[in-house]
Amino acid sequence: MSQDPELEELFQDPAHREVVDLLKLSRPAAPPLDPNFRTYLRTKLMTEAHRTLQPRAARRGFPFSLSPKALAPAMAAVAAGFLVVLGVQIYLQNQSPTSGMVAVDLSHIQNKTNVATAEPIVIPFSGPVDKNAVADTVVIEPATSVKMQWVGQNLVIIPDHPLAPNTTYTVSLKASAAPKESRPNVQPTPAVAPSPVVVHFTTVRAPVPPVNPPSYRSRNVTYGQENRLADAGTVFNGGWTPTGQLIVTRPTGQPGPGSSPAKAITASGAAPKATTDVWLMSALGTPIRILVPGGNFPAAAPSGGVFAAWQVTSSGQTRLAIWDLQGNLQGTLATLDSMPDRAPAWIDSDRIAYVTQGRLVIVDSHGGSVNAPAIRMQRGSVAGSPLGTLLAVEAVDRSSVLDLASGSLNPLPAGATGFAWSSRGDLGFLVPQASGSQLYIAPGGKNAQLIASSPGGQTWSDLNWAPDGASLMLAGKPAGASSSASRLMLINVDGSGLTTYDTAQEYSSPQWSSQGDLVLFTRQDEAGGRAFWTASTAPSESDAAAKQALAEVDRFMQARLTGDRVAAQESLDASGLSAYQGGASSLLSPAGTKFERYYPVTVQLTGSNPNRFLVGVRIFVSRAGVQRSFFEEQLTLVLKDQRYLVDAVTSTPAVTLGHGPTVLSYDVVPTSPGYRVRVHFDADLRPETVTRDTIQVKDADGKAVSSQIAFDPETHTATLTLTLRSGSTYQLVVTTGVTDINGVTLAEEYNAQVVGR
Amino acid sequence: MPDFEERELVERAKEDPDAFGALYDRYFPQIYRFAYSRVRDQSLAEDVTSEVFFKALRNIKRYTYSGHPFSSWLYQITLNAVADHYRGQHGEVELEEGASLPSGAPSVDDEVVRRDRSRRVWSAIDQLPRHQRAAMVLKFGEDKKIEEIAQIMGKSAGAVKLLLHRAVERLRRELPPEFEAGLT
Repeated sequence: MSQDPELEELFQDPAHREVVDLLKLSRPAAPPLDPNFRTYLRTKLMTEAHRTLQPRAARRGFPFSLSPKALAPAMAAVAAGFLVVLGVQIYLQNQSPTSGMVAVDLSHIQNKTNVATAEPIVIPFSGPVDKNAVADTVVIEPATSVKMQWVGQNLVIIPDHPLAPNTTYTVSLKASAAPKESRPNVQPTPAVAPSPVVVHFTTVRAPVPPVNPPSYRSRNVTYGQENRLADAGTVFNGGWTPTGQLIVTRPTGQPGPGSSPAKAITASGAAPKATTDVWLMSALGTPIRILVPGGNFPAAAPSGGVFAAWQVTSSGQTRLAIWDLQGNLQGTLATLDSMPDRAPAWIDSDRIAYVTQGRLVIVDSHGGSVNAPAIRMQRGSVAGSPLGTLLAVEAVDRSSVLDLASGSLNPLPAGATGFAWSSRGDLGFLVPQASGSQLYIAPGGKNAQLIASSPGGQTWSDLNWAPDGASLMLAGKPAGASSSASRLMLINVDGSGLTTYDTAQEYSSPQWSSQGDLVLFTRQDEAGGRAFWTASTAPSESDAAAKQALAEVDRFMQARLTGDRVAAQESLDASGLSAYQGGASSLLSPAGTKFERYYPVTVQLTGSNPNRFLVGVRIFVSRAGVQRSFFEEQLTLVLKDQRYLVDAVTSTPAVTLGHGPTVLSYDVVPTSPGYRVRVHFDADLRPETVTRDTIQVKDADGKAVSSQIAFDPETHTATLTLTLRSGSTYQLVVTTGVTDINGVTLAEEYNAQVVGR
Repeated sequence: MPDFEERELVERAKEDPDAFGALYDRYFPQIYRFAYSRVRDQSLAEDVTSEVFFKALRNIKRYTYSGHPFSSWLYQITLNAVADHYRGQHGEVELEEGASLPSGAPSVDDEVVRRDRSRRVWSAIDQLPRHQRAAMVLKFGEDKKIEEIAQIMGKSAGAVKLLLHRAVERLRRELPPEFEAGLT
């Protein structure tokens, strides 16, 4: 118990001290709090703050008065869910003589950078508009498939997939004021603004693609900023998708795009009423869309952009089904009489295991039964290996690893529970002891080895692997302590480096995102409720060489962006300086233009001893303050005297912005065997145009290397799987046959270097 | 948040709506909690909290650092808002001398027992005279220093100590015996 000198001094009578000690151990119960109230009040305050703290010229406009009661639901939804608010002050002259002007207050986003990729876009209107007419005029470049809805006077634009990073978007629309109420002899004629509203914003920079995957090293990871995902009681359970979004269960009726009481299942008669819905949510806590009304316990598939969940049906039964991330039902796998108390477990991305009526059931993704020995289970742990060949089960009689091919059971140490498989296929589990816990690792699911015993009789639970498979996070609480003493801990796969994060509240259920940059967990909040939070993580020093090279590129580029020739030349060796002076590219922007921004398009290790990197950079050029084009440079950096210097450069012609989809970036990932070349686009594409004919890797003779190709519309990414010769240079070619969803082709053929190693 | 960071944030909030939003995010939970502890009604607590932050926004340009945390100012506004609310009404319910404090049967589970005790002791605090209650909530619910409580309540540090002392003495006398037994 912490000491408070003031209380020590004030209360010296033992009888008083006892009361004081009790008070110090206690906290008042969390007051009841409407989760919408906090966000609603914030929205009102911020509206007022913008009006009063940033004095502007008096504006004529639509007579607008904020009516709390009328706007409460909409504003709460906006404040709770929508962070991207487009911002330019625009007035729309209504031709009707009886109307005023309708303003679009877009002051928060015009030319804003670092806009999150998974957030809906909100365009707030200050007065009534012709909603259908406005929505019909919305155009987004690069081509982005969206859904639109109105929340009060706010037009909410919800991208079907996350926006592309590093991309400047243009949203244009024509706003029409709403017709006035009908009056005799007055024909309501909505007026269209004389010119469209055009808004530009740029999304966040993407993480630099890995050079030696996995680039993320979890050992000695540090714990960064925490963010509350949602207020206590507004998210019941959840987990990551492979692309870094969250699928969560929320109480029915929560605000967000697409939420509607009519969509929630409300069973009639004796059937139980659904009380939860499954939502897609951004890592910042923004509800993106409702996926399964009446759903609970979602589980994202390891790949394929789908998830499984339980859903209460209109007949009051519960079905296990698969949906995609748009909320489209893919298939029903099973129907049960009651809702299980946990999420189904994926086995690879084609089978699912669940427990019903005291037994383990395995079905394929079409609901077909999968042969497996009869295993009696109750509340035990079950987890499928990433390759889909093994299933760890905590049966009633004992825990085992089930070989799904042969049906054989390999026993694990008695009491084994809390199974978790790493991306490498290693099984981690815990064995509770009379005092404390033991952590075991079974490499490949076999030959389990005791790795660590909890110190001081701590109880460990909630094992979760870091994405690189090098360490695990877990929840631990001291011997004899209540759950409120639970803390997050990290331990290396060999049992070393046990680290307890110094936190004040109850922390549990950690889940690492697939990129390793965030950890989702539950935590007791200030009011005593249990809420979901995320914490950012900072990897330890890894990929040091690549980081050093990229840091040099950044120094070089920042000097060029600010027009500092001397500083820029400090990053060049003699050969690099000669290349720029010889006209291989422009070191500084030509007169009348400005190098506005840049980002790395690719980073490849092309040689060692000394290290040599190929770094592609895309440089955006503006004229009169408007970005109009970009070009790319491929920089070769060589380590000289402990510092990377630009040794060579090639550049591409300029490409005018806004004329069709473009290649955003690409990376070359060594796999075993072969390579994967991933090409990321900035627009939603027609999948049928992404083929081995339109995206190729060619050898020095111009011959296409044999490859397989896959396209993921969720991330606009085409992946070629192929074999490259070490030390050979290839050409990535993306032809103009690639077409966005509007039928617009790639503006120009894209060519870039790929090096095998 | 270190003191200098808070002061910088408050200074920025005089011009920058986002900085004011950050202050709101930081202090909403405790102000709402404190407001609720005074009025014991969710709707009233929302009204009071809303009034506190709007008053803060209207007056933040006049706020000057006085050596106390920014939250002290918000607590002061909260107390004033609560007082305004009750002005002209019958006032907050005061515990009559000799009135019995809540009691209940002990639970089997330790955690349940602990929570039950916690609930009951705070329920008892709810029924203390209002100045004692405010001092107790700020000291034991919000971990404020006595000097800060004095500043918030517009009283001397000695007066706050007296309020705390009287409140603890009253709880000692009136809480059921199993409370103290459970502490050992």
